[in-house]
Amino acid sequence: MQFGIFTVSDITQDPTTGRTPSEAERIQATLTIAKHAEEVGLDVFALGEHHNPPFWSSSPTTTLAYIAGQTSTLQLSTATTLITTNDPVKLAEDYAMLQHVSGGRADLMLGRGNTGPVYPWFGKDIRQGLPIAIESYELLHRLWREDVVDWEGKFRTPLQGFTSTPRPLDDVPPFVWHGSIRTPEVAEQAAYYGDGFFANHIFWPASHTARMIALYRQRYEHHGHGTAAQAIVGLGGQVFMRKNSQDAVNEFRPYFDNAPVYGHGPSMEDFTQQTPLTVGSPQEVIDRTLGFRDYVGDYQRQLWLIDHAGLPLKTVLEQLDLLGEEVVPVLRREFAKDRPADVPDAPTHASLVAAKYGDAAPRQATPRANRGDNLTAGSPYQDAEPVAAAASGSSFGPAATRTAGAR
Amino acid sequence: MTTKKLVIVSSGLSTPSSTRQLADRLVSDAAGLLGERGIEVEVKVFELRDLAHDITNHLLLGFAPPKLQAALDAVAAADGLIAVTPIFTTSYAGLFKSFIDVIDPDALTDLPVLIGATGGTPRHSLAIDYAIRPLFTYLHAIPVTTGVFAATGDWGDGGDGVRSLPDRIFRGAKEFADLVERTDRSDRVSDPFSLDRPMGHLLGGLAGE
Repeated sequence: MQFGIFTVSDITQDPTTGRTPSEAERIQATLTIAKHAEEVGLDVFALGEHHNPPFWSSSPTTTLAYIAGQTSTLQLSTATTLITTNDPVKLAEDYAMLQHVSGGRADLMLGRGNTGPVYPWFGKDIRQGLPIAIESYELLHRLWREDVVDWEGKFRTPLQGFTSTPRPLDDVPPFVWHGSIRTPEVAEQAAYYGDGFFANHIFWPASHTARMIALYRQRYEHHGHGTAAQAIVGLGGQVFMRKNSQDAVNEFRPYFDNAPVYGHGPSMEDFTQQTPLTVGSPQEVIDRTLGFRDYVGDYQRQLWLIDHAGLPLKTVLEQLDLLGEEVVPVLRREFAKDRPADVPDAPTHASLVAAKYGDAAPRQATPRANRGDNLTAGSPYQDAEPVAAAASGSSFGPAATRTAGAR
Repeated sequence: MTTKKLVIVSSGLSTPSSTRQLADRLVSDAAGLLGERGIEVEVKVFELRDLAHDITNHLLLGFAPPKLQAALDAVAAADGLIAVTPIFTTSYAGLFKSFIDVIDPDALTDLPVLIGATGGTPRHSLAIDYAIRPLFTYLHAIPVTTGVFAATGDWGDGGDGVRSLPDRIFRGAKEFADLVERTDRSDRVSDPFSLDRPMGHLLGGLAGE
């Protein structure tokens, strides 16, 4: 099981001091937090994508690439990458590149985004959000699996004989999680491809999250990727801890009461009851997190939001220390206890390479000498069988392209 | 015996409230008329005053606390809605509109609605037709022709000199009962998690589904 943190990259005033950090300060703080996540033994650091103040993370791959260079074991992910407003071709290129520079430690979580105006900023129509997400991901999926792609759809220019470069590391695409708060179609999309499903969880009651994941599991099995119990599930959550429960409550309350995402709404007590937010001792966080399993089953990835709402860097690093020293070691042990042997771990690059190649050497895409013509002779790579890649790629193949174009 | 689900939403702010009183009379007549036709009614009443904090929290956070969720589920699964609000400053009460705002935009489709409103003077009575009716029309609900407005004077013997309040209540209730009798709406409530459009359809019908 993977444990980690995710950040939404908000720059928020600290309500206890009235001070708002600069972008520069908050960006540096986040890099420090990411590195410390590895130091305390966490597995994953994930970063959101936003294109408007008060958020700073508009360029996740640049940020994650730097963190990759400063760490050695940390899995780097997004939370979420906008599959709606980003060009799927550019996503295929950027994340394949991140995969190479991180040595296979990159995955990505796709989402549709939560800021309406972001659509027109990138020339998209929010009313088409779901169809765009579905079409764009189908293209992204193919670009990583087929050396040469012919494609035509509704939402971007057609591609003729296009090769997305670099090819994924070892010819194994980054693992994809589909993140959603409330859209059953996204659970279906994740299940359809046999990808992971990440339930954001943090603003919703357990009953809702349970239904989303039950749907994903049921459809994962339906689409033939394994049993429902073997589907790859991730959960969000948010915590604030001090050794003594009451200290945590007292210290976090002004942050909760004023945070843009919670503030001036329900009481912290009501909110903690209705959502996964846990404010208390490490033991309370352990108990609460173990309880998630009761309604979603054995799952593969738990990410916590710990650096939001204006909390100062020092406090966030202390939260990481508590997670690393007191919470995660216990959770690793406890979650492992009753876990059925056939429930897989979260896929990593190593496990995906092993699944694809067994003991054989992974393919390393190597371009042919420049022919000036990539259209007529199959793959532009000298070590790939012409056509074979396309046939083993998407389950739709060229027929899907035609239909998509005709819609 | 057939059973129809009626939901009453009253957004009066005081206790006791003349808005709630009007709602009770509307449902009483409607239930009586349906009973005569061999149809039982199951009635759920929601006073928005009790849900006011939950409604605000939903507006701020995007999810409904359990008590409010129960009300939203009931409205979405109803065969008929009786919606009654006081008129403030020529329109529905803000609390009433806030409740409408947190309802899923598709949840009221085909829903028969009987609109009631209360106010200080009969001069506010048109607010039903220029403010409240368009709201339900926009949401593809079916508001019945007669909206029942009760001014302060209506509760005594004066009234507006056209038709007595009990007459108007009965007329609105009859139009409503006629629609409720025919609708099979509560039988058709679909579970969003049942995914009537699985992936094969989403991608163009190519997955054999």
